[in-house]
Amino acid sequence: METLTWERALLATGPGDGVEEAVRQAYREAGLGEPAHVITLPSPAAGALAAAWLGGDDRRRKELEEAEAHRRRHAAAALRTAGGAEAGPLVPFDVLRGLGEPGRVVREAVRTTPWERARRAAYAELGPTGWAALWDETGGRLWPQADRLITAIRRGLAELGGEELRVATLDAVLGQHDAPWLAAFDKLDGGAEESAEPDGEAGLDVLRGLRGLRGLRRVAGCAGWWWPYERVAIVTERPVELHLDDLGRLHRADGPALAYADGFALHAWHGMPVPADFGTSMRRLTPERIRAEENAELRRAMLEHFGIDRYLAESGAQPLQRDETGVLWRIDLPDDEPITMVEVVNSTPEPDGSRRTYFLRVPPWVRRAREGVAWTFGVEEKDYRPERET
Amino acid sequence: MYRQGDILIVPVPEESAPRTLRPEPRDARGRLVLAYGEATGHCHAIPGPGTLSGGFLHLPEGGRLVHEEHAAISLPKGWYRVVRQREYVPGSYRVVAD
Repeated sequence: METLTWERALLATGPGDGVEEAVRQAYREAGLGEPAHVITLPSPAAGALAAAWLGGDDRRRKELEEAEAHRRRHAAAALRTAGGAEAGPLVPFDVLRGLGEPGRVVREAVRTTPWERARRAAYAELGPTGWAALWDETGGRLWPQADRLITAIRRGLAELGGEELRVATLDAVLGQHDAPWLAAFDKLDGGAEESAEPDGEAGLDVLRGLRGLRGLRRVAGCAGWWWPYERVAIVTERPVELHLDDLGRLHRADGPALAYADGFALHAWHGMPVPADFGTSMRRLTPERIRAEENAELRRAMLEHFGIDRYLAESGAQPLQRDETGVLWRIDLPDDEPITMVEVVNSTPEPDGSRRTYFLRVPPWVRRAREGVAWTFGVEEKDYRPERET
Repeated sequence: MYRQGDILIVPVPEESAPRTLRPEPRDARGRLVLAYGEATGHCHAIPGPGTLSGGFLHLPEGGRLVHEEHAAISLPKGWYRVVRQREYVPGSYRVVAD
């Protein structure tokens, strides 16, 4: 697969095909016996909870089941109030119990060792500069995106189930979110999977290394995070919804930006985690609502979305000062620095004869419009005297 | 000093301009581009002779500063510093995107 294809894999939604066979191949390539059971769960939340349960003793398992039952009653009540459907079971504990003991975590053997082997061989073949160049044009391009998703999911899991769930994710193989490094190794493979006559010892090592990654690669093409144990593999599905803004950050106004089939979801506004109703509330913003928002980050997002010029007009803000360069405005905000802005008028009229005004934010210590405009050009107030402006 | 939209052209003494920097190439239309508008694709440009390097503009014969949305400005011959307008963001600042 090319890097572009891996980008699609990274952001893919919906259930994938052939998950179980892909997982079994990864075990075989790691030199392990195939797992007795491959269980598919709907979300990384379900997977992490299952992993925490599998790794716990009887007492811990009981606590997790009770906490989960409590959380579900809570969620069901909230959903009924909201008029929504009831969410399905997150983790089928009885199924997990029926599996017997899962055995040791084999992430090291399944993922880390083959990865290290391939990386060492590639590094030996390409040298440090070649490896860095390869990474730059493949994995390095996908990594920021993958990292943002992984971090957001881990944060969501910590909110859902505390530190224990977050820690459980450290044993996971990241499936589709492993796309960056798989993209790098794929480039080396050059598509010559089975046949290629490798040139020399180093080339042979590279090919051997890459062959150990085929199962991992297949899982990444069809599934989300997964937890490999000796006897059991817990695999999770990809999200059902994924919405990004034009900078690739999680963002959605009318629902969760990332959502899984069992209801585990993350709400985000241009990458910033927000409460579930934040997006819809942005449609009914008023200056009062913005002023009443206690969280400075959310308030800033609201203000930008509402439009600062509109806010000034509708909130009855008074200008601090005006001179021939423009008008200086200030909005005081509780527990945050004030927003100070200069309103300047374009010197060249629009085709219809009107003049466009625009607002530029300046540091809060600015007291005069000229001082503000001069600051935007990095010159002293006394020196800011254009002979001509258009 | 001259202002055209979001750029400021500040006259400087010849000796304050660095000489060692490589001059910027001209665009496909042969113009010296002082600043691109990322959002609009419009730009502040000098169509005539001159060089730009390291943010300093040299107009040996004077020249005209043009832009799609602003009236042109005639600049006398000499050396200038080209300043992009910036905007404050808490703890930092960013270049104004037009």
